[in-house]
Amino acid sequence: TEITWKIPSSVPEGSFFYNNFLKRFAGHVGDLTDNQIKIRPFGAGVVVPAFKVYESVQDGIVEAGHSTPSYLVNQDPTNAIFASFPGGMSPEATMAWLYEGGGLERMQAYRSEKMGLHSLIIGVGTSEILAHANKPINKIEDFANLKYRTSGAWAGVLKDYLDGVPTVVPSGETYTLLQRKGVDVVEWATPGSNLSEGFHEVAPYIIVPGIHQPTFVWEIVLKTETWDKLSPELQTKVEAAARVTTMEAFLHFANADIKAMDTYRDFGNEIITLDKSVLSVIRGYGHQWMKARAKEQADKGNNSMNVILDEYLAYQEAWSRNSGVFVRDAE
Amino acid sequence: MLYEVAARYIFQAPTLWAFDLSYMLNGSLFLLGGAYSLNHEAHVRIDFLSSQLPVRFQQKLNAIVYAFLAGPAFAGFSWVATSKAYKAFLTGELESVSPWAPLVWPFYAALALGLIACTLQLYLEGIKFMLSTKIPGHTTESGVSLHD
Amino acid sequence: MIELIPVWMFIALFIFVFAGIPVALSLIIVAAGFGLMVFGDSLFLQLYGSILHTASNFTLSAIPLFILMGALLEQTGLALRLFKALQLWMGRFPGGLAVSTITMCAIFAAASGVVGAVEIVVGMMALPAMAKYKYDQSLMAGTVCAGGSLGTIIPPSIVVVVYSSMAQLSIGQLFAASLLPGLIMVVLFILYILIACRINKKLGPASPEADMVPLKEKLQITLSAIIPPMLLITAVLGSLLLGIASPTEAAAVGAAGAALLSLVFRELTMSKFINALRTTIKITAMIMLIVMGGTMFTSIFAVAGGGWMITEWVDGLNMGSYGLIFLLMAVVFVAGFVLDWISVVLIFVPIFTPLVNAAGIDPIWFAVMFMVVIQTSYLTPPMAPSIFYLKSIAPKSMTYRHMYKGVMPFVIIQLLVLIIVVLLPSVATYLPGLITSR
Ligand code: NA
Ligand code: NA
Repeated sequence: TEITWKIPSSVPEGSFFYNNFLKRFAGHVGDLTDNQIKIRPFGAGVVVPAFKVYESVQDGIVEAGHSTPSYLVNQDPTNAIFASFPGGMSPEATMAWLYEGGGLERMQAYRSEKMGLHSLIIGVGTSEILAHANKPINKIEDFANLKYRTSGAWAGVLKDYLDGVPTVVPSGETYTLLQRKGVDVVEWATPGSNLSEGFHEVAPYIIVPGIHQPTFVWEIVLKTETWDKLSPELQTKVEAAARVTTMEAFLHFANADIKAMDTYRDFGNEIITLDKSVLSVIRGYGHQWMKARAKEQADKGNNSMNVILDEYLAYQEAWSRNSGVFVRDAE
Repeated sequence: MLYEVAARYIFQAPTLWAFDLSYMLNGSLFLLGGAYSLNHEAHVRIDFLSSQLPVRFQQKLNAIVYAFLAGPAFAGFSWVATSKAYKAFLTGELESVSPWAPLVWPFYAALALGLIACTLQLYLEGIKFMLSTKIPGHTTESGVSLHD
Repeated sequence: MIELIPVWMFIALFIFVFAGIPVALSLIIVAAGFGLMVFGDSLFLQLYGSILHTASNFTLSAIPLFILMGALLEQTGLALRLFKALQLWMGRFPGGLAVSTITMCAIFAAASGVVGAVEIVVGMMALPAMAKYKYDQSLMAGTVCAGGSLGTIIPPSIVVVVYSSMAQLSIGQLFAASLLPGLIMVVLFILYILIACRINKKLGPASPEADMVPLKEKLQITLSAIIPPMLLITAVLGSLLLGIASPTEAAAVGAAGAALLSLVFRELTMSKFINALRTTIKITAMIMLIVMGGTMFTSIFAVAGGGWMITEWVDGLNMGSYGLIFLLMAVVFVAGFVLDWISVVLIFVPIFTPLVNAAGIDPIWFAVMFMVVIQTSYLTPPMAPSIFYLKSIAPKSMTYRHMYKGVMPFVIIQLLVLIIVVLLPSVATYLPGLITSR
């Protein structure tokens, strides 16, 4: 029997994220299951509103959904651990934690308990660009009073610890506002996917690395009943498709990032790499911010954020203690 | 929003709530306005063909469409909107992406109210058409006034 | 039958619309009817998503503010004074006010990308003025609709932003690409008005008596009439161009400024203010409900397989580059009759992008053609958003006949621009080519 899943995404059809995560996954599922499961992907805003993907799966409007835990952070900040946060783990460490360090099991258990959903990770991103900026940023003090287009946890850290001025800008107006210097700084996504946004054409400075969003995670969610109804063979195949998608997409992102950075450099952008000391201060603030959220949750009687964050930070600590063992290609 | 612009420049402190507030206000009001516009026949019709038909036929056609097609659709939307608003109220649901993260139930409740108003107005208009007290597309006033 | 749902949806929509059912209700009814076949009982949950999507769209929240600004200027007579003063200077040129209208629309379009709002703001100010100077109803209608459509092509345009994110093109390059075609269009619009009014003196009559007014008095009238609205427009445009406000926020500056001006000039009575609010509510609700219906229609069309249907159909035809371009443009043109631009872009850009890339067509060139066609279909009767919007602000004496007749020359000019872009791709590709390094 043939199964068809309508899967709406939170990103527009044809966009970098859509092609690399959802479209790739749809192709692999078709191939690996011999088309026993067919996926019909839809871009953001076509079938359901971009930020209602999780809810529409829970409501049974669609069989599955493609979104990121970032959109659930306001509801429950525990999701910031899964989505990555300022000062969180590097992409490689995140992947290791998720797939080998018990992170994915944690996330699946959490989804199923809190939302009745089964989660499959199909995207772990490379680090974002910290800032396309009209002003140079070199030290902590430079963040003060910066009008900074951002959202999520970084908006909180910026406001609470760095005296920056996080600003909400409608996505369609971001380029124009940066060009007209209505905002000093825009953070958006990874180097490779930012290329078509054209921010580098209007703002001279590019600040890296993306300590505000070292990586990010995209998932496919289905109702647990939908998942449980699949035969174990099909479950294995769909899981394999998800893993292959994560790996391929990551490599594609990384390769595109390297090329994009050269493009920015050739275009004449000044690329500023923040000093280790500056990064370490920001990382500290990020951790503080997350711990404060976990405490708020615990005070409300939900201790799970505390537990998961402790595990996460312990894994990050182990990775940073030992990451000297990995050869880096730095000059 | 004016406050937002002033705040951003004069006080160097954009308020995080202006963004959400402006779309929520617009979103809450347009459905209530939709009912008001139904009453005033302000919804655009392409009536150059249909206006050739007998007035009684136009009235019956509109009455049927309002009462049996548009009415039930809006009733359905109202039902869903009401239950979503109620659920958001019970769970204390917050806006998903905004750093301000306001509660969404007042917004959802306004949507539900607007949809209910539209539903009732649709049936009211249907009855007016049926009783021949109103002709589709005929407004009491229309467009901008022409001064002197 | 089930496979053909996307086709039936359009047929049903045309039937309802031409039966004289309000456009917004027609869209909603058709979406709900066919949605029942696709979604069964979760239909209402699904379509509620479209309602929520429309209601929480930040860009749309500029519409009531822009309309309020226009309504205040119109109600208090400030707009009329502005146009009277303009007529003092341009009175000797036939069609002078129509040219002013196009220019004002172009300036608004260069400042923001909110398509329908520009038409309504400028239309509310310009229509009474042109009517007072006995302009031809068709020319009035055509000028306002055509001017209002410029927001699509003149950068910055939100249509372009959405397009580029879906087609993976650079926003900056697409802005640059649409600049020349946009300017050519404005110039052709103005040329047409000047020539047509010279040939047929009744279209936009000159008022030579304006020349009799002594210069001193002229200057006085101008100072008192032009300066205030100009201040307001400068405030709106200035805050946009200097990046002080986002396009949406500038609308708030405009509405507050209009209220302030009317107070300063002691023109704002309570009843005028309430009238302006009423107009704003009615027009906003009318536009928003059409957008909401369009969103519902689009979602059901997509889920029913409309996208795949078109892809298969086009693939099956197997045609060359120019044939493909023609076909795709025809599809956009028909869809744009009823759907707002956002729905057209959401449905068709993802379908077309792979086809265009496979055929080796320059994507930037194609995007510009797409913009011109969206803009043309926005304008083309019998079903055209520009006419829906005009209808909401038009005086009773202006009929559909006037509107249809009035927009036709402008539709032809837009097709001419399309032909120019097709034959001379460098019109679109020259400027973007310059942005390769800073
Ligand atoms: Na980001
Ligand atoms: Na524009």
